[in-house]
Amino acid sequence: MKRPKLSSATTSQIVILITAAALMLLISGIQQNYARKQIRNNLERNAEMELIIKSIDVKHSLEDVTLALRNRSWEFEKFLHYPDSLFDVTRRIMEENPNFAGCCIAMVPNYYPEKGRLFEPYTLRRGEVIETFQLASEEHDYSKNPNFIIAAENDSSFWSEPYHDEDDLNVTLITYTFPIYDEYGDMAAIVGIDLNTEWLGKLLNSRHVFPSSYNLLLSGEGRLIYRPNGEIKHKDVEQIMGLINDSTAKHTISASGRVTIFSFVDWEDHAKGSVYYYTPNSIHPWSIAVVNYDDEVFAPLIKMQWRNLLLTFIGLLILSFIIQRSAKNISKLHQATLEREHIDSELNIARNIQMSMLPKSDETALRDDCDIVGSLDPAKMVGGDLFDYFVRDEKLFFCIGDVSGKGIPAALVMAVNHTLFRSVSAHETNPARMMQSLNETACQRNEQNMFATFFIGVLDLPTGRLRYCNAGHDLPFVIGKTVKSIQAKPHLPLGVMDDVIYTMQETTMTVNETLFLYTDGLTEAKNEKHEQFGVKRVEEVLKHSIENKSFASKTLIQTMKEKVDTFVNGAEQSDDLTMLAVQYTPKEKHIIYRETLTLFNKVSEITRLNAFVKSATSALNMENALANQIKLAVEEAVTNVIDYAYPNDTEGNIEITIEADESRIRFILTDSGADFDPTGVSKADTTLSVDERPIGGLGVFLVRNLMDSINYERTNGKNVLRMEKQYVG
Amino acid sequence: MNTNITEKDGKYTVSLEGELDTAHALEVEQAMQPLHELSGKDITIDCAKLDYIASSGLRILLGLLKSAKAKGNKVVLKDLNDEIKEVFKMTGFIDIFDIE
Repeated sequence: MKRPKLSSATTSQIVILITAAALMLLISGIQQNYARKQIRNNLERNAEMELIIKSIDVKHSLEDVTLALRNRSWEFEKFLHYPDSLFDVTRRIMEENPNFAGCCIAMVPNYYPEKGRLFEPYTLRRGEVIETFQLASEEHDYSKNPNFIIAAENDSSFWSEPYHDEDDLNVTLITYTFPIYDEYGDMAAIVGIDLNTEWLGKLLNSRHVFPSSYNLLLSGEGRLIYRPNGEIKHKDVEQIMGLINDSTAKHTISASGRVTIFSFVDWEDHAKGSVYYYTPNSIHPWSIAVVNYDDEVFAPLIKMQWRNLLLTFIGLLILSFIIQRSAKNISKLHQATLEREHIDSELNIARNIQMSMLPKSDETALRDDCDIVGSLDPAKMVGGDLFDYFVRDEKLFFCIGDVSGKGIPAALVMAVNHTLFRSVSAHETNPARMMQSLNETACQRNEQNMFATFFIGVLDLPTGRLRYCNAGHDLPFVIGKTVKSIQAKPHLPLGVMDDVIYTMQETTMTVNETLFLYTDGLTEAKNEKHEQFGVKRVEEVLKHSIENKSFASKTLIQTMKEKVDTFVNGAEQSDDLTMLAVQYTPKEKHIIYRETLTLFNKVSEITRLNAFVKSATSALNMENALANQIKLAVEEAVTNVIDYAYPNDTEGNIEITIEADESRIRFILTDSGADFDPTGVSKADTTLSVDERPIGGLGVFLVRNLMDSINYERTNGKNVLRMEKQYVG
Repeated sequence: MNTNITEKDGKYTVSLEGELDTAHALEVEQAMQPLHELSGKDITIDCAKLDYIASSGLRILLGLLKSAKAKGNKVVLKDLNDEIKEVFKMTGFIDIFDIE
């Protein structure tokens, strides 16, 4: 079974959490380390203080004893003469000092000859009872007792090492011995006071900072004078004693230099503890130690650890929650950015498609009778401006349009209008009828209420006749001797109302006149102060171009662009800037042949026609194959007129004029029959099979294919068909 | 414009001489009329001396081809000159007729 793959988002989330956790734990660890040090320092200071205080207390307690006894020394002297009274002395001492365990007066051997060698009055306390008796005997020879010997030899008082009571091994005693002297200054006896070291315990076990802490009091030889009872770990005490007395062990010294510190580990339950011990001058040679257990010392720290852990955990939960949320947000952002980029790239593609739909100037560059230049500077977003032009049958079809809005919707509508323009102008030359067709489609299913301003023009190149129709668009300018707006009925833009009747206007362009078309991207071009370029400025520029005699299409457009650029001065372009300049430049033809023939609309007249054509082609020295082609084309054209122009059985004339210049021959066919445009007939399908082929429709087809161009105009109630062919070169 | 119909080797041969323009179309059509009624034999149209053909002429040939085909007979055009061949190419007739 495959392990599910973690998305990179989840992985990075986990990484962040782990890093955060690690950081938090690290910080927590550092804090705890610091806290631990602080606690140890405090402990050290507290321990030291405790040891000092307690050692002073011990000293005072000891001094209480020694002082009490010194005060009695006169009594000892007094009663020296009365040996039996010494029993009472010991008894009185015991009665007055409830904390004494025993008191003895060990006479110097043979001091009282009558008493024998050894004489030791002794009082003992057993619980509540005090017993007095003579302790010495040959079995119990105190003169051999080291304490006695040391006291006697050193002639000084001292505290003994601790020892266990013979009668009760649980009891630890310590003896204070001091010599007493008679009136002669000779040592008379050694007095010994036995003390149960528990008496020191009350001092030592009061005032502990930590519940399980305890003190140890050690003799000069490192033996325990006092250790507390109760639930103290005796094993630990042995271990501690060993460590204290081990001279090879390396112990730390406190900051003050007085206290020795070491730590130990309980062998059984591995509890850790620390020992601070001190040999103060006050109780020299005794040492005092305080034992603390780490679990109590560091209890607050451990509490803190747990608290920290909990806080860390909560913090991590919150963090992971935040991360989750922001991860969602980031991925949303990421999505949105991706979508935006996608849209941007789609817009770019749309823009490229839009630009590629525009005609290239080389489509009409070869013509010498017109000069057309168009220019579209798109705004940031793909827009709804369009211009188009092409020549069909010696007529220049052109249009300019502006769809409401911007972006893809506008571009789509414009694309549809463009396609429609091309398709209606394939068989229609009346701009009003074309506009009507466009409007019908624009109004269908126009839920978005997109509308487009549009201007269509059809310029008949042989005659200069301009037919046009306007649908709400900015009126073009005509630049000739002067600058004037073309006279056009505005109508409504496309897509507004489906019952608009579009009408056509006509004018004739004179030689070298230029028609300047534009969209509101030109007049509404804004500069930084939000001022518009305006129609007046456009007119000004056009007027200047007349003065400078520079209104050829290319120059005109360039000049206008420069003026707008200067005006706008870098401000952002908000709309497509579209311009189209159409200059009519018919060239003078040098006619070298012209003949006219008039025929009746009868098939039999074809013979006369063919002879007429033959005479022209011979006169021009045309080669046979070409001449025959021309003959066929003309025959077909005339046959068409004979067949269709006049209603059945009516008589009518057909006039044929043959005109030629040095390179081209032209046939002009005029009849006054019904309005019939052969150029609008759809092309015959030459790929059909025998069975599918209709018997007709070849006439116009042949004319188109054999001649270079055909052109039809309805002028003054007559059909005028022109056919042209290049015969030289 | 001369139109001669002969029967040879079990085939009908039509020879067209001259220019088959619109003016002469009617008379040629009438001359070819018998072929529409006859059947059972293939038709060869000898165009060696045909100088010119207009669309009305093409129409006549097409009509002949259709009626012959309907009867299961073939129509073959022979010896078209180059110019006429061009016209046939232009109009696509070159694909529907058998040309020799």
